[in-house]
Order: sequence, then C-alpha cells, then structure tokens
Amino acid sequence: MVNAAKVLQDLRASAERKPDVVVRLGKPLIDSGAVLKLDADAWLVYEQVAIAALDMGDDALALKCIQALETKFPGSPRVRRLQGMQLEASGKLAEAGLIYKAILEEDETNVLASKRQVMLLRAMGLPSEAISALVKYLDINYTDFEGWLQLADLYLDELMYAQAAFCMEEVLMLQPQNHIFHLKYAEILYTQDNFQLALKQFCRVVELCRDHVRGLYGIKMCASRLLKAAPSKDAAAATSHEDLEAMDLLATERLIALYGAPGAAAESSKVAATKWIEIQ
Amino acid sequence: MAVQQAPNHFGRLVCLVAFFLFFHSGYSTFEHLSYLKAVDGRESGLPLDITIELLASVALFGLGIVLVADDFKEILMETEMAKQSIESLDARPSFYSFNHRGRAVFKNVILKDEM
Repeated sequence: MVNAAKVLQDLRASAERKPDVVVRLGKPLIDSGAVLKLDADAWLVYEQVAIAALDMGDDALALKCIQALETKFPGSPRVRRLQGMQLEASGKLAEAGLIYKAILEEDETNVLASKRQVMLLRAMGLPSEAISALVKYLDINYTDFEGWLQLADLYLDELMYAQAAFCMEEVLMLQPQNHIFHLKYAEILYTQDNFQLALKQFCRVVELCRDHVRGLYGIKMCASRLLKAAPSKDAAAATSHEDLEAMDLLATERLIALYGAPGAAAESSKVAATKWIEIQ
Repeated sequence: MAVQQAPNHFGRLVCLVAFFLFFHSGYSTFEHLSYLKAVDGRESGLPLDITIELLASVALFGLGIVLVADDFKEILMETEMAKQSIESLDARPSFYSFNHRGRAVFKNVILKDEM
C-alpha cells in the first residue's frame, strides 16, 4: 500500500497519463478506505483517481471519488471542475459548460475552468472557437507554456503550420531546456519546408539530449533534402555543402551505432533500420 | 525514475559498527559520570579511552555513509530531462479531453495486477 501511494505520487509529479495504472493502484486504496491514512495526500489521490477513472470509463469509481471530495470541500471550484469533467466524459457537454461558466462568473481568473472551456469547445467540434478562446486566455496568461503547447496542437489540427510554429517559439522562450519542445518545433519547420532552420533545431535537440534518435533522423532528413536542393542564393546564411555532408555522415554513424548497441533493438529491426539509413 | 543501486553491505556493516561504538561511548560517559558522582570526585573532562572511542565512531560513520550513499545526481537540468519520456515532457494535464477510445475499450475490463 505504501508502494502504491508512492507510485501514484510519482505519476502525479511526472504528469504522465497512465489511467490504467492509476485505477489499478488507486481503486483498492479507495475501496478499502486506506487512502485516508495518507492525510493531506489523500485528496490529491482522490482527484487523480477520479480523472483516471473518467479516462477508463469507470464512472462509478469517479462518482465515489468526486462525492468524497465534495463532502470534504463543499462548493470548491476545483471539485466543481471535476464534476464538469464527469459530465463532459458522459457526453453532457452543455451541462458541463454551465458549470465552468458558473465558476468563471464567480472568479474570472480561475485558470483551470478557462482551460476546460477550451477543451469543451474542441470536444463539441468547434475548433476555431476553441482556438479563439485559447488565444483570449493566453492574452492574459502568456507565461503558461501548457496553453501555448495546446494552441500549437489545435493549430496543427487545422493544418495552420505557421501559427503552430509561432506558438512553439513562445513555448521555447518559456522552456528552453526541454528537448521535446525543440523537436516539435523542428518537425513543424520541416513540414513547412524550412529545412535550414529545421536542421538547426534538430541539432539543438541532439545537443540537449545526447543520441536522441528522432533528432538524429531529423538531421539526416534535413541534410539530405538540403544536399539535393539547388544551392540557395543567400549562400552566406546557408550551411556549406561540406558541413552538410559531414553532419549527414555523423548522424548516420550515430544512428547505426545506436541500433547496433546490445539490447537496443531486435535483430530484424536492426537490419531494416541500417539498410534504410544507408540508402538515404 | 532513478535506477536503484545494489545496497553496499560492507558500508552498512561499517555504519552498524560505528553506531555500536557511538552508543557504547555514550553509555560509558554516563557510567563515568555516575561513578564520579558516587565517589564525589571533582575531576572534569572525559577519560581518554572514551574520547578515542567517540572519535573512532565518528570517523567510521563518515566512511560508512560515503560507502552507502547512492551515486550523485546530475546537476545539469538537460541530463535529468533526457531521462524522462516524451509522454511526461509533453503532458498537459489541465487540457485532458475525454472523447477518446479509452472509455469504450476499458469499460468492461477488469484490471489485473501485472506485477
């Protein structure tokens, strides 16, 4: 039981979405009442399990958790948001919207409720309304990188790459040390055919995270695209032909070494990957 | 999550010995003081053997703790980040949506303990 609580705490800290693990570990804790021994953490576990249960379609468990929270914190906006999420999960989107609206009428700075409203609009199938709601939210809370990431995602759904790239630039300003965000930005640039800048961003990914396979593949793809393309006019800004070839070679070398590392991949996938890397 | 190092048994033994020495020197001090009280002596300070025992226990503790302690963690943020998965670095817990297949797929599944 101590272990289960520890795993749940780690999952809360890392924010990974693993509802199956949370429900499997959390359900016995809540059913047996052992969760109350965790003192202040108990309510966080209730909230975590409630959301995971909604993800898994276990509405009875979610209801139990939310009711426990409701009796402990009557009228709290955080609990009401959970009730809204429960309505959302069961498809009652309009009713959930009323709850979020009521929370925002009491306190218009409630960040969680405004974020839920955005996702509600998206769930309703109104992506452009969701985007404008999120833009309005980010006008006020411009340091919320989660919001910018979500906005980038919404733009990507609409195939608006330039706007998505702008959002990712904002994210990078706020979280420059996270290689995943650099990777996302690089891939958006690659999709936009901006190979010069994408190459630099892929290099940044590998710089931040040694031997990052997706980053190395990105370098290879960008380098080979740039080598095939006609030399660009502004030669000063571009990477030279020799440098590109050297980068391509280095990325190839690292990729083959990574796939060749013992226990890295099955023999068949190792052969397939090496073959593909070499013909590129 | 950090990889757990195999426990260093020698280091633990050293710590245990150090603890007993520490405890024993404390007990000896108590005994010495009560002896002084009994004979009404005016001597101040501790006998040399207790002092030596105490210092030896401190030194052993130092050695044992160094042996038992885990490897150091990286001080650079990037290296810590590199260990995390893409799911946790790109997670957006406040933007969950529930119109996904999970609700339908797991509705009637009873989760079993995999461990």
